[in-house]
Amino acid sequence: MKGSRVRANSTSAIEVRQTGNRIVVGGIAAIVVILAVAAVLLFLNLPDANAFNARVERVFVENDLTTQAEIKLLEILAQSGTAFSDTLSSYRVVIFVLLVFATALLVAAMAFLVMLITLNRRMGQIERKGIEVNSLLIAREQNTVYLNNFEFKLTEAAIETLSVLAEARMDDEVLSGAEIEAVISGRDASDCDEAAGATRIKRLRDTLGNQMVSELLVKNIARRGYMLAIDKSVIRMV
Amino acid sequence: MKHAFIIPVLLALTATGAQAACYADYKAKQDNPLRLQYGVAEIRGECSVAQAEAEIAPRLVAGGWQLLEVLDVFDETGLDERQQSAGEFYLRY
Repeated sequence: MKGSRVRANSTSAIEVRQTGNRIVVGGIAAIVVILAVAAVLLFLNLPDANAFNARVERVFVENDLTTQAEIKLLEILAQSGTAFSDTLSSYRVVIFVLLVFATALLVAAMAFLVMLITLNRRMGQIERKGIEVNSLLIAREQNTVYLNNFEFKLTEAAIETLSVLAEARMDDEVLSGAEIEAVISGRDASDCDEAAGATRIKRLRDTLGNQMVSELLVKNIARRGYMLAIDKSVIRMV
Repeated sequence: MKHAFIIPVLLALTATGAQAACYADYKAKQDNPLRLQYGVAEIRGECSVAQAEAEIAPRLVAGGWQLLEVLDVFDETGLDERQQSAGEFYLRY
C-alpha cells in the first residue's frame, strides 16, 4: 500500500514537471516561429531601394522614350522614387521596433505562463502540506495569538511560553526546558528544573493544538454538534 | 560641340571606305543614381543587332554604362533623325 502511494506521488510530480517543460519549450518555439515568419514577411513584402529604379528602367526600355527631355523626366522620376524608398526604409525601422516590442511582450507572456505554472505547483504543494504559518502575532494583553488569520485564545502561562519561544526564535536560539523556565520565572537556569519547562511546552501544545484542530479540522457547530471542516472530496479510505 | 566638327569627318571617312556604313541606336543606364542614355554608335563589323550588342556593350562598360538594349541598326540615312534625341551621346561610344 505504502509503496504504491509513493509511486503514484512521484509519477504526478514528474508529470507536472514534464508538462511545465513542454510548455516552456513550446512557448519559446512558438515565439521563434512567429518572429521568423514576421521577419520573412517583412522582408518579402517591402520593396527594396532599387525597386523604383528598376521600374523606371523597364518603362524606359519598353517604351519609345528617346528624346533628351523624356530621358531627363524619367531620371527625375527615378530620383523621386529613390527619395520615397528612403521613407520606406524608415518605415522598415519602425516595423522592426514594433517587432522587437512584440517579442518582448511575447517573452514576458511566456515568463508569466511559466510563473503561473510554478505557482500552481507550489499552491498544490502548500495545499498538501497543510498549515504553513505566514504570520504569528502575539497580543499579550488579550492573551491571544494570531496564526495567519486564525485567532487563538491562550492562558497567560501559555502566552508567556510562546513569547519566550518567539523571542528565542528571532535570535536563532534553541532553549532547553530549564532555560525556558528560567526566563519565565526569572531565576537562574541552573536552579530550574528541566521538567518544569517541558510541562510548560506540553501545556502550550495542548491548548494551541486543541484550538488549531478545532479550527482547522474538527468544527463545533453550536447546539448542533461536530463536523470535519474539510471538503468531502478529499477524503479517502485505505 | 566638338562632335559637330567630328561627324562630317567621320562621314567622309566612312564614305571613302566605299562600304555602306552601319550605325545602331541603343539604350543604356547607370546605377546609383539611375541615369539613362539613348545613344547612337557606329558598328564596324557585320550590320546586325546581335553584332551591334556585342560591339557596343564593352565600349559602354568602359565608359561606366550598362547596355539595356539595341533598338535597331541602320545606315547613314538614319543618322540625322536620331542626332537630336541622342544629343551628347551621338556617336560618342
